[in-house]
Amino acid sequence: MKKKSIVVILLVLLAGMTFLAAAGSKEAIYPDPEKNITIVVPHSPGGSTDLIFRTLAEEMKRVSGVNFIVTNITGAGSATGTNEVINGKADGYMFLGAGTHTTAATMQGLTKGYLELDHVAALNWDPFIIAVRTDKPWTTLKELIEDAKSRPGKITLGNAGMGGATGVASVGLNLAFGKSFNVTPFNGGADLISSVLGGHCDVGIFSQSEVIANKESFRPLAILADERSSLASLDSVPNLSDAGYPDITIPGGSFRSIMVKKGTGEAEKKWLAETADKAFHSENFQKFMKNSGLIPVFSTLEDFAAYDATIVADYEPILKEAGLYKLTK
Amino acid sequence: MEFFLEGLAQVANISTILWMMTGSILGIILGALPGLSATMGIALMMPISFQLPTATGIGLLLAVYCGAVSGASIPAILLGIPGNPNAIATIEDGLLMTQNGKAGQALGGAIVASFIGGIGSLIFLVLFAPLIARLTLAFGPAEKTTLALVGLVIIASVSGSNIWKGLLMGAFGMALAFLGTDPFSGQLRIPFANQLATTPLSKGLDLTSTLIGLFGISQVFIELRKRKEETKKIEHVKIENIFPPFKKLLQMWKIILSSLGIGTVVGAIPGTGASIAVFMAYNSAKNIVANSNGKLEALGTGALEGVIAPEVANNAVTGGALIPALALGIPGDAATAVLIGALMIKGVTPGFHLFATNMPLVYAIFITMFLANVFMFLFQLMGVRLYPKILNVPQQILLPLILILSFIGAYAIAGQATSVGIYNMGIALGMGIIGYALKRDNYPIAPIVLGLILGGMFEENFRRAVKLAGGDYLVFFTKPICLFFMALSVLSVVLPMYAKKRKR
Repeated sequence: MKKKSIVVILLVLLAGMTFLAAAGSKEAIYPDPEKNITIVVPHSPGGSTDLIFRTLAEEMKRVSGVNFIVTNITGAGSATGTNEVINGKADGYMFLGAGTHTTAATMQGLTKGYLELDHVAALNWDPFIIAVRTDKPWTTLKELIEDAKSRPGKITLGNAGMGGATGVASVGLNLAFGKSFNVTPFNGGADLISSVLGGHCDVGIFSQSEVIANKESFRPLAILADERSSLASLDSVPNLSDAGYPDITIPGGSFRSIMVKKGTGEAEKKWLAETADKAFHSENFQKFMKNSGLIPVFSTLEDFAAYDATIVADYEPILKEAGLYKLTK
Repeated sequence: MEFFLEGLAQVANISTILWMMTGSILGIILGALPGLSATMGIALMMPISFQLPTATGIGLLLAVYCGAVSGASIPAILLGIPGNPNAIATIEDGLLMTQNGKAGQALGGAIVASFIGGIGSLIFLVLFAPLIARLTLAFGPAEKTTLALVGLVIIASVSGSNIWKGLLMGAFGMALAFLGTDPFSGQLRIPFANQLATTPLSKGLDLTSTLIGLFGISQVFIELRKRKEETKKIEHVKIENIFPPFKKLLQMWKIILSSLGIGTVVGAIPGTGASIAVFMAYNSAKNIVANSNGKLEALGTGALEGVIAPEVANNAVTGGALIPALALGIPGDAATAVLIGALMIKGVTPGFHLFATNMPLVYAIFITMFLANVFMFLFQLMGVRLYPKILNVPQQILLPLILILSFIGAYAIAGQATSVGIYNMGIALGMGIIGYALKRDNYPIAPIVLGLILGGMFEENFRRAVKLAGGDYLVFFTKPICLFFMALSVLSVVLPMYAKKRKR
């Protein structure tokens, strides 16, 4: 008797579930509150890119009631995760934690990248800082540049890898100052920090958190942005124009944005952009950005596409100079 | 003392203990499965650690880390397949011991060694973290180049009977290391560069997939061949006398201390890691045994010494890798890199700063590290009577199971990127076939691994050192650490030859 009633209940439940599922697929409302929206972060958990998208995902969940989940798919710079989005469906249920890493990976021919992606929302820049060990003779950027120009190729400028954002920043800097530095790539941020701390490399390009972590040993010379840092411990670091170089613009940081597979419907993109807008301007996310020293550059859809075009234009000559440019038009 | 008590207060609660026990068991299982590494275990547990208090979360991750490093030795000893790269040097003597019916002793020795390594390096970490951290900063590209050279010399000691075959395999491993992308110019260095540019091969061979193929899959083929030739008797495994006699451990004090030192220091140098440390420890143990006047068993003959040395070293790497991670904010290996990320999420920036401002948390981390080692030891002890049972599983079940697990392991390295996973399975199969052919004809496999790991490190740092010196190739002769390592390399080749001559 007991067994029978359990079977009946199960059957009723099953029927009910099939009915619900059928109803859901018929209407095809986006976003289906039953479904998750996946954010592919092409970098490791715990890194700065990951932190930004995890915080944003929390807020997007809160303002929309839809469940956003973060998936880390790493490898080949950021190309592996990017390819995963490009090979997925254009249904709006998966988007890429994109940014300058996407631009760089695309230009290096590691992925079709931005050629196969649509713009949803631009988020922020995480500006880099150019720093030396405290016992080095240069106290300002100007002194360093003058010294480098007086003996070209003698001062070593390290980055965390040619294909990454610090690589682009260092080559950009070198281009801007008449190629007077010996630009040397290291095997990741950790390798670069220990080499500059150990005196094996003269100058390095770091993220703000890396400089703060080694505040006692690093002398920051300039922040590679238009504004000063929003972080109290770094707000005395001059920006490029305060350091005496107002005319120089280089992509001196990592930019993060949201992109979806090309061909995603306009309605889906618009909904994602609006949700990102609300989440971005939430009190929590604004506070997070200020505490992390991130510079907001929010825009959506066409505005973002136009903005991204300027980043691409900035990147092209630098990657060509570094010998990394592989795109053929 | 006050800080210590505050740290203890952060850790002494039931939630921390339970999470750490869970992490420890999970770590041992992940470590024992081929392809699933400590790094992956930590990354898997990270989302959970976000939800926990900082000390508890870090404790969970450290438990997974210590468990995984120690768990890797189980399949290495029983089946000759390393759970992850940390255990590659354990295979040689561990597998021989199993084949001699001494699996229990080998496992017991490995567990004791893991515990000694873990706790020993923790003591270094607590006492000398800032000092060792500063010491590792002396290691720039030039110094790392010569360190890789010292490692390459070890090829001679893991070559088995025929040194020429060993050298050939070492060269083959180095050649494999050069596949992929030029680290400086970004140019592709692979056959069919145009076709393969967007495939994962553009970043070179995946190390773990390669190891799974060379050791795991090839071993399955070898066993299959043996079945064809002979009916294999299943050795009855005795599991008495698990622990090495204390007296024997005392006799090995030199081996244990040198492995501990090597593991801690190599672990603390960023860009090196356990897979180099274990070979260096193995090599150093070989030399110590050679000078022991027959008191210790010769390595390579199924000696407990050959299990103890690498197992002390790879667990010493855990404490070593935490030194620059905590004191400088620079990860010593991939696993600690994820660990630093977990701290940053909690708003804690590791570095000198951390020691200056948040000593209670530093102590809490030390205490959880201690607990992680204790739990690892306890759970391994419970399991040690269970593990050798796997050898009683009939081969027609065991071999397909190993094959399946190997492929799953290779696939799982890539996380959720399916295309990369499938490519890794291809690498594992290809390397399995190559490994089978080499083992069949008595070519040693370990030198390939050394070449593969050190080749990349040597090339990259060599070129970086020369570039930093403005193109001066003599830079290696201007630095004391470089000169020391080069002298060491030369001596470790010349001295054994001289000793041999004198014996005659």
